[in-house]
Amino acid sequence: MKVSFEWLKELINIKDSADEVAHRLTMIGLEVEAMEQVNDDIVFEVNVTPNRPDCLSIVGIARELSAAYGVAYELPAHDIAAETGELNFNVDILDKELCNRYAGRIVRNVKICESPEWLKKRLEKCNIRPINNVVDATNYVLLEFGHPLHAFDLKTIKGNCIRIGTCRTVKGQAAKIKFKTLDGIEREMPDDSLLIWDAERPIAIAGIMGGIETEVSDYTTDIFIESAYFEPTNIRRTSKSIDLKTESSYRFERGTDIKMLKKALDRAAYLMKETADGEIYGKIDIYPKRYIPPKIQVRYERVNRVLGLKLAKKEILACINKLGLDIEEVDANTFKAKPPTYRRDLKRDADIIEEITRFYGYDRIPAELPKATIGIDSQESRVRGQESKIKNNIKESFLRSGFTEVINYSFMDAKDLDILNIAADDERRCLVDIRNPLRAEDAHMRTTLIPALIKNVIYNLSHGNRELRFFETGRVFINISQDKNSGLPLEKEHVGIIYYHEKSRTLYKDETQVFYIVKGIIEAIFNDLKIYDYSFKRSSEPFLHPGQSADIFIGDNKIGYAGIMSPAIVDILDIKAHRPFIAIAEIDIDRLVPYAMQVVQYRSLPKYPHIERDTALLVDVSLEASALMKWLRSYSSELIDDISIFDVYQGKNIPEGKKSIAFNVRYRASDRTLNDDEIDVVHKSLVAYISEKTKGQLRSS
Amino acid sequence: MEDLKQTFLDEIKSVEGLVDLSNLKIKYLGKKGIITAQLKKLSSIPPADRALFGKKINDIKQFMETEIDVLESRLKGEELKRQLLSDSIDVTLSGKFVSFGREHPINKTLSEITDIFVRMGFSVEEGPEIELDYYNFEALNIPKDHPARDMQDTFYVSPDIVLRTHTSPVQVRVMEKRKPPVRFIAPGKVYRCDADVTHTPMFHQIEGLMVDKGINFSNLKGVLVTFLHHMFGPDTPVRFRPSFFPFTEPSAEIDIGCIICNSSGCRVCKNSGWLEILGAGMVNPRVFEHVGYDPEEYSGFAFGMGIERIAMLKYSIDDIRLFYENDIRFLRQF
Repeated sequence: MKVSFEWLKELINIKDSADEVAHRLTMIGLEVEAMEQVNDDIVFEVNVTPNRPDCLSIVGIARELSAAYGVAYELPAHDIAAETGELNFNVDILDKELCNRYAGRIVRNVKICESPEWLKKRLEKCNIRPINNVVDATNYVLLEFGHPLHAFDLKTIKGNCIRIGTCRTVKGQAAKIKFKTLDGIEREMPDDSLLIWDAERPIAIAGIMGGIETEVSDYTTDIFIESAYFEPTNIRRTSKSIDLKTESSYRFERGTDIKMLKKALDRAAYLMKETADGEIYGKIDIYPKRYIPPKIQVRYERVNRVLGLKLAKKEILACINKLGLDIEEVDANTFKAKPPTYRRDLKRDADIIEEITRFYGYDRIPAELPKATIGIDSQESRVRGQESKIKNNIKESFLRSGFTEVINYSFMDAKDLDILNIAADDERRCLVDIRNPLRAEDAHMRTTLIPALIKNVIYNLSHGNRELRFFETGRVFINISQDKNSGLPLEKEHVGIIYYHEKSRTLYKDETQVFYIVKGIIEAIFNDLKIYDYSFKRSSEPFLHPGQSADIFIGDNKIGYAGIMSPAIVDILDIKAHRPFIAIAEIDIDRLVPYAMQVVQYRSLPKYPHIERDTALLVDVSLEASALMKWLRSYSSELIDDISIFDVYQGKNIPEGKKSIAFNVRYRASDRTLNDDEIDVVHKSLVAYISEKTKGQLRSS
Repeated sequence: MEDLKQTFLDEIKSVEGLVDLSNLKIKYLGKKGIITAQLKKLSSIPPADRALFGKKINDIKQFMETEIDVLESRLKGEELKRQLLSDSIDVTLSGKFVSFGREHPINKTLSEITDIFVRMGFSVEEGPEIELDYYNFEALNIPKDHPARDMQDTFYVSPDIVLRTHTSPVQVRVMEKRKPPVRFIAPGKVYRCDADVTHTPMFHQIEGLMVDKGINFSNLKGVLVTFLHHMFGPDTPVRFRPSFFPFTEPSAEIDIGCIICNSSGCRVCKNSGWLEILGAGMVNPRVFEHVGYDPEEYSGFAFGMGIERIAMLKYSIDDIRLFYENDIRFLRQF
């Protein structure tokens, strides 16, 4: 809210400079966010929090400063010395819950023209466009007293009366009502919105905006000024549903001062007399639902307990004695505070304690570290601690493997799933939709991290960056209810990686296939986490190269996939010009973590030496390493300590359709030193077994 | 005998390589060598002189062996060096550089903050990013149709389900599950439908909560000043001023002296010399009522901060959108 320093000083006598006043306001919770020199005035931009509608005016700010400085403030002139005639106008509140008070006054024979300069300037400083002297008077009072008013052209009001109610109460039934506001827009009103009616029709949306048909025009002579208290929730709901926010609705929805409205009404009439030569007639004031502020009981001891202070009763009361509260000392331990009508935010002792703190001064309270209770973490948080260590390990491993971390928005475009050829019945199609997205591309929550990682690569390529390795850890959201009671979707922590590699001139050549680089990193991470029971099986993910991709299992659980991106998708993404290899992988961390929670147990080191044997077999090209390993491991011998494949070869000297696989077997006994003769027998038998299983033959070296 | 030693020394001086040395060794110490021949003479020496002669000949033999060994190892060293130098490479050529990845500046800042609080005994909690309206608003004393909802533009999934607008719902979820004392922080992503130079629709916050018997406003100040001094240096000025959050009362906003201009006034601090860095307050008794804590027995404070803002200040980043463009030239700087 804009506050003119010159205007403020008209109501309260402050000697301090604008800078000092701004600081004072900030330190009592009315943060001055900016100051602007406007001619010979300074305009503050004050951030008024939603709980303090009473500060949305010059009077409100003056009131706070008066409490802070201990200097009295004055209300602007609003006494009506004499009334020219009687009112002769009828007001009927039909919805007393929605309109607790309604007052009005008639001003006749106004001469519509421009407002005087001083008044126009003040409006402009507060970002309100001057219109004419009558409308300006109501806006001026809005800024001054914080109470919104409305001026009707009296002659356009039919039946010399005003009724306040919703369509239901006025007409006896709900009906679609179209209403043209004075901005010229016809609006369809929600059923429960509070309207102002004359004898025949609605003439204003209560608290939000008047109608075009009763607007004050250049030919208006007689005015009906409305000053009312409307229930905030209804105003807010209506304003939201017709998407119309005004200075008036902003104040009504936060709550106005039901007591002040009469003074505001008189002040407007007073100004219309001054600036438009109007003749002030009688007033009507209907106040069916009296507001009685609560009496809030506060214990001195609690004040000190909350703040960590040892203030005497007198000191406590001195903090708030200038805030317009009625203070009643009940007994040695308690007092009661009755807030003024403009402080509806004060309801409970915590509210009063906050006021005490504000005026005691936040900066005067010493900073003291709490005396800590040190206890044992609950089992649950110990598990969580372990989990987060594992997650950190994973992250650290990717960083050390050359992957840079990215963070993408959690949003996703459904079209991205089409590009990846994700099937209709795939879990990743269970999208959580956002009802009010900022852009159509961001209308869903992501179900996979891959589309954004691909976009990261495309973005960087377009900026000339090459050799990209990214990873992201973050949640994906599957629209399957994880908990029947809450109805919240499933959230899973994933890690996604993308490895972009193009053949470029480098000093040192590395011919390793990109798939194996990525797989190697993932295996290294598993080993680091002491996960050994993993396997890679040919994948059928629709966006991966069918020959160079694998699903990743731990035990029988699929936890992710890794592979080369399908060339068809590289084509669609328009990055084929670089002939890149793009490997991607995605792993469900939530599924992985439980496997990594193993307790490490030491095994004693072997006492006796081992003996090694290397063997090369000629097998069908289609034989996978995993099948060979499985058979090798199925050979039963207690002497086998370890088996590994160390060479795979195809080409020269190898028949068409065959490949050579060389493996190493390490033999060891736990109770003695083995001898070569013994092992020759065992190994020969193993080779015979495996040759039969693989239909392979021993390759002569 | 002395002549023999002198001749040996002269000869060994002219030795130029391992081959020469080997020949020299054979000449003196070989099976048919001079010293061996002398030793063979030993039996023909009169017994009286034999001991002395034997000692002399052995001394000279030992002397020669040592001289030869020393020279041999020197020559072998030189030989190896020559050989290795012929295998030399251009050591000024750049290495096969293994470029480590970089942590995203947001997560880097987040870990730094988390570590400080963990050292102060706070545990780390999490909550769902898609949250019930109840936890995001109502349990935090922000009813429907309340203007305080305007403080946070909300993405809706359904009338009752939102993308959480702050990390504060974790407070309620943890308190519902656990009895006091509680002391934790909850970092995470939050969402608001807002996008411009200073706002992104997704950003990060850290929430903190400490509830126990006897926790007061002075403790809130103690913990947060300690944190800020850890984070920004022990001499950083800290200022607490009143503010409003529906779930805390009294509420405070906490400023630090502008670290860009040293409080002398600049564009970043809008010439005020201060930077807003944290929101905080004593937990509103109404929130305790929602989770079944007795506000007479327990009290506590809560705080929250935006990570993007802190990261921007720390690294002098002037456009929040850089965090989510993920340009490798940006990310590599951290």
